[in-house]
Amino acid sequence: MIFGSLTFLIGEAGRNIRRNGLMSLAALGTVTIALTVLGGTLWTTFRMSEFARSQPEKFNRIDVFLPPKAERSKAQDLLEELHKKPEVKEVTLVTREEAWKMMEENQPVLTSALDENPLMDKLEVELKEASQVSQFAQSLRDKDEYPNIDKVLDAGEEVRNLINLSRVIRVIGGGLAVGLFIATLFIIHNTIRLTVFARKKEILIMQMVGATPWFIRLPLLLEGLFHGLMGGVIAGGLMLFAGHLVSQFVTSVHSPLSGEVPSPFLEYSEAIMPFAVS
Amino acid sequence: MIDLKGVGVTYSNGWRALSNVQLKIDKGEFVFVVGTTGAGKSTLLKLLSREETATEGTVKVSGQDLSSLPLHDLPAYRRKIGIVFQDFGLLPNKTVYENVAFALQVTGASRQTIRRQVPYVLDLVAMSHRPDAFPNQLSGGEQQRVAIARALVNEPFLLLADEPTGNLDPETSLGIMQLLNHINLRGTTVIIATHDQAVVDFLQRRVIAFDQGGLVRDEVVGNYRATEAQEETA
Ligand SMILES: Nc1ncnc2c1ncn2[C@@H]1O[C@H](COP(=O)(O)OP(=O)(O)O)[C@@H](O)[C@H]1O
Ligand SMILES: [Mg+2]
Repeated sequence: MIFGSLTFLIGEAGRNIRRNGLMSLAALGTVTIALTVLGGTLWTTFRMSEFARSQPEKFNRIDVFLPPKAERSKAQDLLEELHKKPEVKEVTLVTREEAWKMMEENQPVLTSALDENPLMDKLEVELKEASQVSQFAQSLRDKDEYPNIDKVLDAGEEVRNLINLSRVIRVIGGGLAVGLFIATLFIIHNTIRLTVFARKKEILIMQMVGATPWFIRLPLLLEGLFHGLMGGVIAGGLMLFAGHLVSQFVTSVHSPLSGEVPSPFLEYSEAIMPFAVS
Repeated sequence: MIDLKGVGVTYSNGWRALSNVQLKIDKGEFVFVVGTTGAGKSTLLKLLSREETATEGTVKVSGQDLSSLPLHDLPAYRRKIGIVFQDFGLLPNKTVYENVAFALQVTGASRQTIRRQVPYVLDLVAMSHRPDAFPNQLSGGEQQRVAIARALVNEPFLLLADEPTGNLDPETSLGIMQLLNHINLRGTTVIIATHDQAVVDFLQRRVIAFDQGGLVRDEVVGNYRATEAQEETA
C-alpha cells in the first residue's frame, strides 16, 4: 500500500515536470544560471589564488656573486658553508667559464666584442621557503661575515607582493563566493516557493480531496530535487565547456610564437581558465 | 447525522458571517441552502467540510464534534465527504481519469480498486467516453460531472456542493442537479448551496434559507422564495 503510494508519488513528480513544461524550464534555467555563476566564481578564485600562491615558489632563489677573479676554492668554500644553513635546500655553482659559454651561445654579438671574460662565479642558492628569501638575502649582504660575497640578488618585494596578492584574491573571492552562495540559496528557495505558489490552487484542491501534507509535498520536493540536480549537471557541463574554450583560445594565441611563450601571460590565462589546466 | 447548535462564525476581520444557527440534517436527506450573496451559505458548507470552525456553538457530523477534530485526522475526514465547487476544482494537469483516480490514490487504494471504481463513477456521471481528456478540453458541464465523479469515488456519506451550477447555463444546470438528485436517491446525504431558482422550485426538496448570517426559513418541501403567507409571519 505504502509502496504503491510511493511509486505513484514519484510518477507524480515526473508527470508534473512533463506537463508543466514552461514552469519546469523556468525553474531549471534559474537554478542552472545561479549555480553556473557560483561555480564559475569559486573556480576562478581558486585558480587565481593558486596561481598567485604558486608564484613565490619560483622566487625561492638567491643569486650570490663572488668578487671578480676570486679563486675557485673560495667559491667552493662558500658553497659548502651556505649548504649547511638550515634555510638552504640546494646550492649550485655556476662558474664564470660556464656562464661565458652560455653567453656566447645566447648573445654572440656581445661576447665577440669583448676580448676577455668579465663574468663572476655565481652560486645559485635555492631556499626551502620562499618567504625566507628577503631575510636570508639580507644576512648574506653582511660584508664582515661574508667577505667573499660581492653581490646578492633576490626577488625581494615582488615575492611579498605576490603573497599579499594571493591573500587579497582569496579574501575578495571568498567574500564574493559566500555572497553568491547565499544568493544562490535564496534564488533556489525562491524558485521552489514560486513553483509552490503557482500550484496554490491545486494544493488547496488536493487538501479538499483528503490528501495528507506529505502526499502533497513529496512530489514537489522530488521536482525541486530534480531541478537542482539537473541544474547542477548543466552548470558543470557549461563550466567544462567554457574551460575548454579558454584553453583553445590560449593555445591559439600562443601557437604563432614558436618556442618561447611569454610565461606570465600563459600562467595568468591558466589561472583564470576553469578546469582547463590540471 | 448533522447537528448544529447555536453556531456562530466570526471571521478574523470581525465580520459575523453566521449567528445562532440551529440545524439538524438526517442521513439521506437532500437539502438546498438558499439566500442572497453574503448570506452565509458558503460559510455553512465550509463548516461542514472543516475549512472553517465555529467560533460559537458546536458542529457535529456523525457524532464527531468538528471543532475538536485533530488536524492530522482532517484528511481522513475529508475522504469520507465529497466536495463539489462552483469552479469545478479539477487539477488542470491531470486527465479526467487521473483526476478521479487521485481521490482514491490519496487513500492509498490498491490498483485493482482504482481500476474498478474510476470507470464505475465515470459511467455514473456519463463521462466514461472521455477518460483521457484534460479539463480544459471539456465544457463546463462536463467538467462538473467529472468533479462529481471525483466526489463520489470514495463513496462518501455526505456530498457538499457550493453553487455547483453557478458557472453553467440553465439546461446544463438542470442536468447536474438531476445527477446530484440521483446520487441522493442512492443513499448519499446531499447539501447544495445555490442561486438556481428554477431548479429549486422544480425539484421540490428541503430548503433552508439564510439572511445576513441567520437561518430564516426551513421547509421540508420548499421553493426558492418564501410564500407570501410565510413572509407575513416572518
Ligand atoms: N474568509 C473570510 N474572511 C472575512 N469575511 C468573510 C470570509 N469569507 C466570507 N466572508 C464574509 O462573510 C459573509 C458570508 O459569506 P459567504 O458564506 O461566502 O456567503 P454566501 O456564500 O452566502 O454568498 C460575506 O459577507 C463575506 O464577505
Ligand atoms: Mg458562496
